[in-house]
Amino acid sequence: MAVFFATYGSLIVAMLLAAMLALSLYLPLLAGQLSLASPGFYALGGYVAAIISTRVVPFDSGAQAYIWRMGTHEVARFSGPLYPVSLLIVEMLVAGVLSAVLAIVLGLPALRLRGIYLLLATIAFVQILQVVTQVLDLTGGAIGIFNIPQPFASQLGYAWVVVPLLLLSAGFVYRLERIRIGRAFTAIREDELAAAAMGINLAYHKVLAFTMGAVLAGIVGVISAHSINTWNSRQGTFDAGITYLAFVLIGGSRTFLGPIIGGIVLYALPEVLRGLAAIPGLPLALAQLLKDGRLIMYGLLLVLGTIFFPQGLIRPNLFRHRTVEATPRKIEQQ
Amino acid sequence: MTAQAAAEQAAQVGPARSVVLQAERLTRRFGGLLAVNSVSFDVEEGEIFGLIGPNGAGKTTLFNMITGLQRLSSGSVRYRGSEISKLRPDQIARRGIARTFQNIRLFGNLSALENVMIAQHVHLRSGVLGGVLGLPLSRREEQHAPERACELLDLVGLLGRAYQEARTLPYGDQRRLEIARALALEPTLLLLDEPAAGMNPNEKHDLSTFIRGLHDRFKLTVLLIEHHVPLVLGLCDRIAVLNFGQLIALGAPEQVRQDPAVIDAYLGAE
Repeated sequence: MAVFFATYGSLIVAMLLAAMLALSLYLPLLAGQLSLASPGFYALGGYVAAIISTRVVPFDSGAQAYIWRMGTHEVARFSGPLYPVSLLIVEMLVAGVLSAVLAIVLGLPALRLRGIYLLLATIAFVQILQVVTQVLDLTGGAIGIFNIPQPFASQLGYAWVVVPLLLLSAGFVYRLERIRIGRAFTAIREDELAAAAMGINLAYHKVLAFTMGAVLAGIVGVISAHSINTWNSRQGTFDAGITYLAFVLIGGSRTFLGPIIGGIVLYALPEVLRGLAAIPGLPLALAQLLKDGRLIMYGLLLVLGTIFFPQGLIRPNLFRHRTVEATPRKIEQQ
Repeated sequence: MTAQAAAEQAAQVGPARSVVLQAERLTRRFGGLLAVNSVSFDVEEGEIFGLIGPNGAGKTTLFNMITGLQRLSSGSVRYRGSEISKLRPDQIARRGIARTFQNIRLFGNLSALENVMIAQHVHLRSGVLGGVLGLPLSRREEQHAPERACELLDLVGLLGRAYQEARTLPYGDQRRLEIARALALEPTLLLLDEPAAGMNPNEKHDLSTFIRGLHDRFKLTVLLIEHHVPLVLGLCDRIAVLNFGQLIALGAPEQVRQDPAVIDAYLGAE
């Protein structure tokens, strides 16, 4: 068991982070806004963590960074001083606030656009952010920022932050879907014009949904930056956005469980396929396909999934809200 | 019955039959086409006001202008004395103007119950945090909201179908669900865009009785677009007739029916 966690610690953490990134894209989608801005806020959060932990806070990461570079990725152990978790949480707060401010500034004009135009605007945002971070000294230019200190002695240690955060965000979205604001989001997704005629402020709710997703992506970026140990402009790019979108579309875009399951399963899928390739006795061609062609199979699954499960694997009818369900019966009995 | 309702309202409001909605020289151009051309009328408190006219006369455009879904090219709309033509649709809805749509616009993938609950939006106050954390105010609201919504569904005879997806409901049920949804806004002015479209004469008669009932029960002012002339003549206190974007007649049903311009444009076809 210990060996399993030591080997797969970073994968498990990355799977859970993927679930949250999928949620961050799902939130605006809940209000019908197809946005690929999440990677941008993810990148922003990563830079917040990188800058604070390496340039703002006087924390000497020399010793542990040395060990990090020596060890192989999966089994690295740190004997140096650990970065305080309290500071990690401060970084998450800063990233959340910054993401929210940027999301509001960006969202107010961008969310006037619809459908494909909003999508293009959010892609443009991600690209602009990437170019800007490549030139700025603050973000380490094209090379990025190295030696981001480790708050935990092993990759699996990140679970102490990631698991509660995932539970918190899942609980948040679960509740959101069952209250007034969530209903307003769904109404906008179903029919903007009718929603407006029913008294729902479109701009406010669109920006709100967009901002919630941005905050989550920003916070995930903070954790990722520490976990990866280095941050540069290759993190949080357009193609990452497409991957998150696949998590949501395959997992299911109608309930919060869809993106979570989608993120976890799809992130792990290539690794599982690679593992299958190692089974002895497989025909060479198949083993080759599983090992090297895993991205092909991954793509194939995406295509098949969208054809056969257009609403995703997890659909809301699997679960129903009990108090609401009970109400008409109660009234009928009266 | 109308006189009695009016008397009741007069007792409440003070001056008899105050003006609720005032449309003044409403104009809407689409390129070179004058869809609505300088139309003026007043709707009085508590009346059922009919809007008729041939296809393409500008009736729905007029509705869209009143509810803020389409901008005015010129003119003004005053609701209870204040200008609303510059407001957003949600602000207008919040002031108590609800509507249905000619081409039904329900939230198709949601249940009938959810459709009605969405329209309670402006009457609930809980925000994101209160709602997510389930604070007392929000919890109370979220318990009462489905109950109230179910009462409205009961009123339109759809309680048994509360969990059915709106798009799978029969056509007539969808029309009634739209009315229930509009009522959930607790409006003072209800705009019905061809509520009887696609119904047979029997259903039309029932609908007429139903609208009259709603009007009495909720003290509504109703503004109604309808093609079916007997229904309009029987139901409405006053009627405005549009043709090619212009108001060609306005008055009591009997008066309008005998108006030569109306007979020429519209009723003559009967």
